[in-house]
Amino acid sequence: MWRKWRKKEKKNKQSTLKQSNQEQEPLYNNITDNENQLRSIYENCSDVIVHPFTIGGKHQAILLYIDGLSNTEEIDDSVLSPLMKATDSDQEQQVDTLIKNTVAVADTNEATTFSDCVQAVSAGKPVVLADNSSTGFSLGLSKWEKRSVESPDAEKVIRGPREGFVETLTVNTSMLRRKIRSPKLKMQSMEIGHYTKTSVSIAYVEGLVDKTLIEEVTNRLNRIDVDGVLESGVIEEFIEDDPSSPFPQTLATERPDTVTANLLEGRVSILVDGTPFSLVVPTTLYSLLQSNEDYYRRYIMATATRWLRYLFLVMSLLFPALYVAVLTYHQEMIPTSLLISMAASREQVPFPALVEVLIMEITFEALREAGVRLPKQVGSAVSIVGALVIGEAAVSAGIVSAPMVIVVAITGIASFTIPRYSVAFTIRMLRFPMIFLSGTLGLLGIMLGIIIIIVHLATLRSFGVPYLSPMAPMHFSEIKDVLVRSPWWKLNKRPRLTGKYDKYRQSSGQKPGPIRGKE
Amino acid sequence: MIEKGRISALQMAVLLYPTVVATAILVLPATTGEFAKQDMWLSTIWASLFGYFSVFIAYRLHSYFPQQTMLQYSETIAGTVPGKLIGFGLLFFLIHTNGMNLRDYGEFVTGNFLQQTPLIVTVASMAFVCAITVRGGLEVVARSSQIFVPVFIVLFLFIVVLLIPSLNPQNVSPIMGKGVAPSIKGAFIPAQWFNELFLISFLLPYLHHKEKGLKWAMLSTALIMITLIITNVFALLLFGNITSSFTYPVMDAARYISVADFLQHVEAVVMAIWVTGMFIKISVFFYAIVVGMAQWLQLSDYRPIVFPMGFLVIIVSMWSAPSLQKLSHFSSTTWPFYVLFFLTIIPILLLLTAMARKKISLQSSNVERRKS
Amino acid sequence: MKLLRKTGNRKHVLLLCLIPIFLSGCWDRAEVNDLAIVSGMGINKTDEGDIKLSVQIINPKAIGGQGNSGGGQSGGNPVTVETAVGKTIFDARSKLQEQFSRKLFEGHNRVVIIGKSLAEAGIRKHIDFFARFPNPRLRANVFFTDGKASKILKVIPNLEVDSAEVARELAQLQIGMNVTIKDLLQQMASESGDVALPRISVNKGKLGEGLRVNGTAIFKKDQLVGQIDDKVTRGLLWLIDQIQLSTVTIKPKDAKGYISFKLLRSSTELKPKIKNGTWTMTVNITTEDDVAENETKLDMMDPKVTKKLEKQLEKRIDKRIEMTLDKVQKGMEADVFNFAEAFHRTYPNQWKKAKNKWEEKFPELEINIQSTAKIRRPGRSTGPQGVPPDKEEQK
Repeated sequence: MWRKWRKKEKKNKQSTLKQSNQEQEPLYNNITDNENQLRSIYENCSDVIVHPFTIGGKHQAILLYIDGLSNTEEIDDSVLSPLMKATDSDQEQQVDTLIKNTVAVADTNEATTFSDCVQAVSAGKPVVLADNSSTGFSLGLSKWEKRSVESPDAEKVIRGPREGFVETLTVNTSMLRRKIRSPKLKMQSMEIGHYTKTSVSIAYVEGLVDKTLIEEVTNRLNRIDVDGVLESGVIEEFIEDDPSSPFPQTLATERPDTVTANLLEGRVSILVDGTPFSLVVPTTLYSLLQSNEDYYRRYIMATATRWLRYLFLVMSLLFPALYVAVLTYHQEMIPTSLLISMAASREQVPFPALVEVLIMEITFEALREAGVRLPKQVGSAVSIVGALVIGEAAVSAGIVSAPMVIVVAITGIASFTIPRYSVAFTIRMLRFPMIFLSGTLGLLGIMLGIIIIIVHLATLRSFGVPYLSPMAPMHFSEIKDVLVRSPWWKLNKRPRLTGKYDKYRQSSGQKPGPIRGKE
Repeated sequence: MIEKGRISALQMAVLLYPTVVATAILVLPATTGEFAKQDMWLSTIWASLFGYFSVFIAYRLHSYFPQQTMLQYSETIAGTVPGKLIGFGLLFFLIHTNGMNLRDYGEFVTGNFLQQTPLIVTVASMAFVCAITVRGGLEVVARSSQIFVPVFIVLFLFIVVLLIPSLNPQNVSPIMGKGVAPSIKGAFIPAQWFNELFLISFLLPYLHHKEKGLKWAMLSTALIMITLIITNVFALLLFGNITSSFTYPVMDAARYISVADFLQHVEAVVMAIWVTGMFIKISVFFYAIVVGMAQWLQLSDYRPIVFPMGFLVIIVSMWSAPSLQKLSHFSSTTWPFYVLFFLTIIPILLLLTAMARKKISLQSSNVERRKS
Repeated sequence: MKLLRKTGNRKHVLLLCLIPIFLSGCWDRAEVNDLAIVSGMGINKTDEGDIKLSVQIINPKAIGGQGNSGGGQSGGNPVTVETAVGKTIFDARSKLQEQFSRKLFEGHNRVVIIGKSLAEAGIRKHIDFFARFPNPRLRANVFFTDGKASKILKVIPNLEVDSAEVARELAQLQIGMNVTIKDLLQQMASESGDVALPRISVNKGKLGEGLRVNGTAIFKKDQLVGQIDDKVTRGLLWLIDQIQLSTVTIKPKDAKGYISFKLLRSSTELKPKIKNGTWTMTVNITTEDDVAENETKLDMMDPKVTKKLEKQLEKRIDKRIEMTLDKVQKGMEADVFNFAEAFHRTYPNQWKKAKNKWEEKFPELEINIQSTAKIRRPGRSTGPQGVPPDKEEQK
C-alpha cells in the first residue's frame, strides 16, 4: 500500500518539475518575446522589477532585478546612467559589446537561457537584456540585509575567537578564507533543492584530504533530491551512514575555528546557505565530546575538564538508572546509614522508585524544552526556578523523595556539561531506556544496556571512519589526545584515519624551555 | 572469503584475553584451590603452558593454511569426509561449550544478584546482545572488546587495590609443602581454559598483519597468566584455607571490601567485570560457531544463521545441566577431556599430518626435480 | 504477514518478541520501603535443641527524615527486636518473616551475636548460613555473649542509633578481638580449629544502657570451653597480633608514681621450631610506644631512663602473655593462637605426621616470649611537668 502511494507521489512530483521546464529554454532574439516570457515566469511576483529602457536612445533593453536583493544605487550609477547616456560614436558596435564596455561592474556574466537569468536574479544579480541579442548580462550587484557576525550562542567559549557563522554563505566562506589563507583551501559549490536552490559549499584543504572522501561527499550530496534545504540538518539526514542511529554522525558547528581545525586534520566541511551551522565529516564520538576551548587553555587544566566531562557524560546516561537499580535491586551496596536515610525519605512516597524517576525525569525534560522556547530573558529563570519549586513542592507534598530531586538535578547538570548539543541530547534520551532496563534487571540491565550502546557505536561509521576511533580500533599514538589533551608541541601527527596524506602537522621537538647557558 | 572485515593483531590479543580470563576469574581460585591449596597460584603457571602450546599449534597450522580456519583446513588435510566429520565434532563442541558459557553466566547472575529472575531471561538477554554483536561482524566484536577490555582490567585492578588492606601474606606458605604434585593436579582444569586459546585459528586468517599474530597472541597469553596469578594470590591471601569452599571466591572477596565504611560491597564491580568479560567470551565463541557453521555448510554469508544459532545455543545452555552442581561436576570431570580432545589432540594430529604431507610432497617434488 | 516477509522488519518482530520478556520482568524488585533492614542477628539454642533467632530491625521512620517535613513524626524506637524459634537459622528466619509486613533483608547485617546456649552446643553448623545465603555479609562481626543474644540487640545506646552499630564500632576499635564471619570460618577451617570470639555484655551506666566488650570466649573446636576476662584478653591480642588500642601503665622501680604508655604499633611473629623431636614456639613481639602520662619526676628525654623503662615494659608484656598462656594453653587446652598453622607452614612434613597428636602436644608446647619495646617519643613534654628543672631526678 505504502509503496504504491509513494510511487504515485513521485510521479506527481515529476510532472510539476516538467512544468517549470520552460525556464530551460534559451533566450529569444526579440526583446518583447523575452520580456513577455520573463513576465510570465514572474507572474504575481510583486517584488520582481522589470524595467524597460533604451540604450543610447536606440536599442530597446530591459533591466530585471528583485527589490531588496540588489544594490539600487549602484544599478542607477553604474548600469542605467552609463547605458542610457551611451554616445553616438558607439553606434557601430554590437549591442553586446556596447553593454560590456559601458557597464562599470566587475562581476559581469553572460546569461543565455531563461534559467540562467532566473538564477542570477534570484541571487540578487540584476540582468540586462537588449534587443536583437540572445545573450543577457548578469551583474554582480547583489546586496541584501544580513545579520552581523556575532559570537555563537550554542557554543560559547571563554577564551577563543568570538565570531560565529551567519546565515549568509559568502560571509561564512570569507571567514574560512581569512583563517586559511593558503590557496590550498578549496571550496566546491553546488545547489540543492528544487525550489530553494540553496547553495552548498564543500570546503577542504587540498593535499591533506583524502580524495576519495571528497568524491564520497560529493556523491552523497548529489544524490539529494528534495524540494528545499532549510538547514544543514536536512542535508545531515541525507548523507549519514546509519540514519536510524540515535548518534549524530556529523559535527554541526557554527564556529569557524572549529571548522578550520577540522579542515587542517583532513576533514571536509559542508557549508550551507541560510544557516550558521556547517557540517564537518567524518566525525568521531570523541571529537563530539571535545570543545574547541580545550585547545586554547593550558593543557593540564584542559585534561582535567576533559575527564570531568567524560565522568558527567557517564553520569548523565546512567545516574538515574543506577539510582533505580541500587534502590530496588541491590540495596546492600549503599552504606547502611545512607540506605536508612533514603528509606526514611521514601516512606511517604506512593510510587515505586522506577515511576518516581520517570516522573521527575520527564518533568525535567519538559521544563528544559519549555525553557529553550521561551524568550531569553524569561527562559532560563523559568526553567531553573520551575524545576526547583516543583521539586521542592513535590518533596514536601510527599510525592517524590528528596534524594530523587538531587538525582534529577545532578543528571540535568551532567547533561549540560557535554559541549555539543546534539550528543548531549542523544545521551539524555538514551537514559530513558537505561532506566527501564535497570527497572527490570537491575545492574545487569544497565550492563546489557551499556553493551548494546557500545556495540552500536562500534558498528557506526562516519564516512568510512569508525565512530569510536581512536579507542577502537586503537591507535596508541592518538589515544593521548583522547585521554588527555596533549600539549600542542606533542601533537605532531594528524589523526591517522583522516590525515594520512600528510602525516605530520609540525616539526617535532618544539617543547619550549628556559634559555640555557647563562648563569 | 566469508568475512570481509580485518582486525589488527592487537585487536586479536584483546579478543583472546577475556576469552580465557572471563570464566577463570571467578571460579579459578575455587577449582585450583581444591587440589593445590596454598600452591594454587603455581597451578596457573603450569596451566598457562598449555596456552602457549595451543597458540603455537594454531599458529603453525595457520602458517600452512594462511587463508583458512580450522573447519576448512581439516578438510584439506584429512580429506572431505573425515574433514567434515571433524568439523561437525568441532562445531558440536563449540556449541556445547558456548551453551555452557552462557549457562555459567546465567548461573552466576541468578545465583548472586537476581535470585527470582528466571534463568532463561538472563541467558536469552545475553545471547541476544551477543547475536547483535556477531551480526555486526568480526570488526564490531573486536572494536567493542577494545572498549571493554581496558574497562575490565581497570575494574579488576580496582578490586585488587581495595583488597590489599585485608590480606594476610602468611596464607601463602608453605610453598610446595606437599611437593609439586598438588599444584599440577590443580592445573588440569585451568589448562583447559587456556586450551580455548586455540580459537585464534578462527581469527588468524582475518589479520591485517599476519606476521604479528604470534607475538600478540603470546603476549595475550602472558597477560592472561599474570591476571590469573594475581586473582589466585589475592584470593589465597584473603581467604587462605577456606578459598575453595566458596562457589565464587572473587565475588566473596569483593563483598568483603570495606574502605572507610563507605566504599563497601563492591560486588557490582565484580558483576560488571564478569558480564563484560563473558559478553566478549560468548561473542568470540559465537563468532567461531557461526563462521564455522557457514564454512561447514559452504554458505556465502554467515549473517543469516546468527539468530538461529543463537537460539540453538540458548537451548543447549538450558539443557546442558539441570543444576549448578551438575554443571560444575560436568565441567570439572568430563569437559576437560572434551576440550583436550578437540582443541589439542585433533589439532596436533592435523598438524602432524600436514607436516608429513608437506615433507612427502617436498621429497617427491625434489625427486621429480632430480629426475628432470 | 507482509510485515514478516520484509527483511528489514524481521528485526522489529524479534524486538517485539523480546519486549514481553522485559514487561513481565521485575522478579527481584523490592522497594526500600518494603524491606525490613536487619542490622544485627542473635542466635541462641532452646532447651529442646532448636534455634532461637533474634533479629534487630531498623525503623527508618524513627531515624531519618529530619528534612522530610511531611513524614516527620517519629515513630517510636529506632529499632525493634523480634525473636522466633526454628529447626535451623533459616527456618527460624522464615517464621520471623511471618511476623513482618516487610521482607527481611540481611544485606546490611553487621553483627552476629552468639548466645551461650548455642556456643556450648557448637557453632560450626550454624555459621554455614552466613556463608551460603546470598544476602549476609562476610564482614559482619561475630560476638559471644554470656546469656541471651537478644538482650544485647535490645539495648538502645546513647550515641549510636542501634546496638549493632555500637558492637561493630567496638570491634573496630579493637579493644577486644575483632572477628568477622570470614575470620571465624578461616579459624574453624585451620589446622587446630579452635576459635576465640570477643565477649560482649550489657553495661549499665547512669545515662542508660550501653555495650562493652570485656573478655573473650574460647572455643575448643567449635564448642565453648571457657571465658577469659579483659586482662587475659590483652595477652591474647598480643599473641595474635591484633593489639591496637592499648595503654600500658607501669610503676618505675626507682621513682614515685606511674608512667602510662600509649601503643603506637606492634607486631607479633610466631617462630616455631622442631629440634630433636621437641617442639618449641618463639613469639617475637616488637612494640613501639609513646609516653602519654608521666606522674614521676623522671626526665623522659634521658636515654638511660627510657632504656630502663623499656625493659620494664617488656617484662610487663611478657607477664601478660604468660598469664594468658597459662589460662588458655594450659587451662583450656585450646589453640586459638594459630600455633598449629604456624607449625604447618614451617614444617609441612613433620606436621603431617604429628597432626593427630597435636591436641596432646599443644598443652606441653614450650613457648618462649621475646618482646622488644621501644619508646619512640616523650610526648609533647620533655621533662616532668610542673617540676623545677633542678629538682628533676637525675640518674
